[in-house]
Amino acid sequence: MSDEPKRILCMALTQSGNPCKKYALLGSDYCGVHEKAHNGSHREQTGEEPPAGTTDEVPDEEMRHSLMKELDELLERVRSLAPDYTPPPFSAHRLMELVEKNIQKFSPELRLGILEKLRGSINSDLLDIDTWKGIWYMLNYTLEYQGEIIKRRMTGEYETDEWGLDMEYLNTIRPFFDFMYTKYWRVETTGIENIPENGRTMLVVNHSGQLPWDGSMVAMAVMREHPSQRLVRTLFATWFPTLPFFSEMFVKCGQVLATEDNGIRLLEQDELVAVYPEGYKGVGKLFKERYHLARFGRGGFIKMALKTRSPIIPVSVVGAEETYVSLTKSPSMAKLTGFPYFPLSPTFPWLGLIGFIPIPTKWYIDFGEPVAMDCYEDEAANDLMLVSQLTDQVRNIVQEMIYKRLSMRRSVVFG
Amino acid sequence: MAETKVVLVTGVAGYWGAKVAAQLVANPGFHVLGIDQEKLEQEIKGLDFIQADIRNPLLGELLKSEGVDTVCHLATIESAQPNEAAFDFNIMGTAKVFGACAQAGVKKIVTKSTTAVYGAHPTNSAFLREEHPLKGSTTYGYTRDMIEIEAFCNGFRLQVPDILLTVLRFPSIVGPTADTPMTRFLKEPLIPVLLGFDPMMQVIHEDDVTGALVNAIVNDVPGIFNVAAEGVVPLSKLIALAGKIPLPVFHLFAYWGASFLGSSKMKSLSSIPIELDYIRYAWVGDIARMRDEMQFMPHYTAEEALREFAGYQRMSIYKTDSANLAYDEERLRDTIERRRRAAERKPTVTGENEPEMEGVFDE
Repeated sequence: MSDEPKRILCMALTQSGNPCKKYALLGSDYCGVHEKAHNGSHREQTGEEPPAGTTDEVPDEEMRHSLMKELDELLERVRSLAPDYTPPPFSAHRLMELVEKNIQKFSPELRLGILEKLRGSINSDLLDIDTWKGIWYMLNYTLEYQGEIIKRRMTGEYETDEWGLDMEYLNTIRPFFDFMYTKYWRVETTGIENIPENGRTMLVVNHSGQLPWDGSMVAMAVMREHPSQRLVRTLFATWFPTLPFFSEMFVKCGQVLATEDNGIRLLEQDELVAVYPEGYKGVGKLFKERYHLARFGRGGFIKMALKTRSPIIPVSVVGAEETYVSLTKSPSMAKLTGFPYFPLSPTFPWLGLIGFIPIPTKWYIDFGEPVAMDCYEDEAANDLMLVSQLTDQVRNIVQEMIYKRLSMRRSVVFG
Repeated sequence: MAETKVVLVTGVAGYWGAKVAAQLVANPGFHVLGIDQEKLEQEIKGLDFIQADIRNPLLGELLKSEGVDTVCHLATIESAQPNEAAFDFNIMGTAKVFGACAQAGVKKIVTKSTTAVYGAHPTNSAFLREEHPLKGSTTYGYTRDMIEIEAFCNGFRLQVPDILLTVLRFPSIVGPTADTPMTRFLKEPLIPVLLGFDPMMQVIHEDDVTGALVNAIVNDVPGIFNVAAEGVVPLSKLIALAGKIPLPVFHLFAYWGASFLGSSKMKSLSSIPIELDYIRYAWVGDIARMRDEMQFMPHYTAEEALREFAGYQRMSIYKTDSANLAYDEERLRDTIERRRRAAERKPTVTGENEPEMEGVFDE
C-alpha cells in the first residue's frame, strides 16, 4: 500500500470554471470524468488515429474473414426465422440515427464502448459496405421483433398451454439459469441417454439445498443435454403457490403443483415429470445430515407411475447440499414467517439478502437406469405393500447413486 | 317424440330464466311455463307465464295440474354480502321447488351452479373434477348459498333417485349483456390484480350458459358437470384479451385493504366483485365429463368469448344506438371459425333428439 505513487489532482476545469477537485487517474493528468473529454478533443484536433487499445484490432485478413462468416451466419439465422421481413432501405445516415436512438438503452459504460468501437472500425475500414448493411438489417429486425413482442403481450396474443407454460417467458429468464448451470455450478451430467426421446417418464430426484435450485438445474440439464430438449414438468410443493412471484414463475415455466391428479394427467399426456419425494424434509436438511435421504413421502409418486405405467428414472444430484450451510432450524421463526422451515446458516438471516447467495460448489447430476413400472397388475396402485416396497427400492437406488458419486468426488468446489 | 313436453322455468323474469325460456319456446317439442314473483320485463312470445312465488305451498299442485315433465330451476338471488333474505329465497326456495317436484312426479330437474364452490386454494389441482370437495368461500353470499344448495342436491339425489337431477357448474361468465362478477371485474380500464400472482382462469360465454342449460333440458344427462369454454388462460392474458390494463397490488396490502373496507361497511368502496383468493389461486374445473358424458361443447373458446366481450366494451363508451361491428374483422373471423367447428361437430353427436336441437342452437 505504501509504495503507491503520490496521486495528483485533476488538471481540468469544471463546467463552472473552478479547478477539478478529484484525483487524476494513474498515468494521466485528468480524473475519470475529464479524461475522456480531453483526450477525445485532443484527438479530433490533431486528426490522430485512435490510441493504443484499438491497435490490436487492426485488420488482419484472417480475422476479417471469420468476422464476415459470423455475420453471414447470423443473417442466415434471422432470415430463416422471419422470411418475410425486409428492412427499410439502407443508408449510412439512417444507421447513425438508429444507433443514436437506441444507444440510450445501454448503460453509460457500454454506450461509450460501443461508440468507440464503431468509430474505431470506421477509421480502420475493417468492414466494407455489405457488412454495414448486415448490421443495419440485424438492428432493424431486433427492434421490430421486440416492439412486436411487447405489443402482443399487451393485447394478450400469446400462447400458454393448459398448465400455464409460457415459452416466451421461459426463454426470457433462461439465460440466467444457463449461467448458473454452466458457469456457477459447472454442472456435469451423466446418463442423459436413459431419458427416452418421448413418452411418459418420471424422474425421481433427491432434494437438497434449502432453496429449490436443484429443481431448476435438473430441468436445465435435460433441456440442454437431451437430444430432444424435453421440458421437465417438476411437481412443486403447496407452499409455493402462496408466495408472490414464485407462484407466477413456476407456472409460467411449466411447473405444476404436486397433487396426484396433476401428476397422472401430465403422465397421461406423455410428459416428462420430475418429483422430489423427500419434500420439505429433504430440502430443509441440516448440513450435518447432508446426503442422507429423508423418507420418500407416502409413496404417492409410485402410485402415479403405477397407474400410468410410466418408467421411473432415479436421479441423483450431488453438490446442491453444500450450496447453503444450514446449522440449525428455528421452529419459532418458521411459525412467525409462515415458512415450512426456517434455516439458520452462518450468513442467513444475519446478512439479509446476502444470505441467499449460494456457494458455487461443483454439481453432478446422474440419471440412472429406468425402473419399469408396466409389469404390475392394473390394481397394483392400491396394493399398499407393493407401493411401500417400490418406494424403498427407488429410494435405495438414489441413495446408492449418491454414495457412488460422493466416493469419486475429491473437492466440494472443484469436483 | 310426438307429444309435447311441459317445461317449467323458475325465475323466468331474471336474466338467465328469460334467456333459457326464449330458447325453449323456439323448440316445437316443448310447452314452456314460466314462473316468477315479478312481472316479465320483456314479453316472451309463446311463453305461458304465471306470476307466483316459488315458495308458495301450492306449487306442487300447480306442477301436477299442468303435467310438468321438467323443471329448470334458475330462481336464485346473486348477492355479494351474505344476507338472510337471499339465503331464505335461495336455499328454502330450492328446497320447496325440489319438494314440490318430488310430490308432483316431475321427471327431471336442471339447475345452475358455479365452479366457485370448489374454492380458490393453493392446494387445488390444476383441473378440479366434479367430485372435488366443496370448500368455497363462505364470505361471498352467492358462493355460500350455492355450496348449501349443492349439499342439499346431493341429499335429494339419494332420497329421490327417480328424478334425474342435473347440476351445471359454470365458471366466470362473460358476454355483451350478462351482468356477472367477472363482467363487473372487467368494467374499469385498470383492473386490480395481486402482484406476483397470475392464476389460470376459466370463463364461459353467456350464450353457452343458456346453450348448456337447454341441452340438459333436451337430453337426459343426470349428474354434476363443470361447463366451461375450451382453453384456460392466465389472469394477465384474460385481462389483456378483454382490452384492460392490470394494476398490480401487493397482496398483503390488498387483503388488509379488503378487510378494512369490509368491516367498515363501505360497500361502495369495496369494488372488487371477485374475492381476492379467487384472483390469487386457480379454481379451474375439469371439463372432460362435459365433453364425454354430456356430449356438449361450448361454441365459444375462452379467447373468442373474451375478444368478443372486449369488442362490445370498446363500443360501449361511444354513444351509438346500435353497437356498430361492421368493421370488426377479428370478431367475424372468430364467428366463422366457431360456426365451422359447430358444423364439424354436429355429425358426431348421436341422439334421437337431434333434429329438435337444430332450432335450439340457431343463433
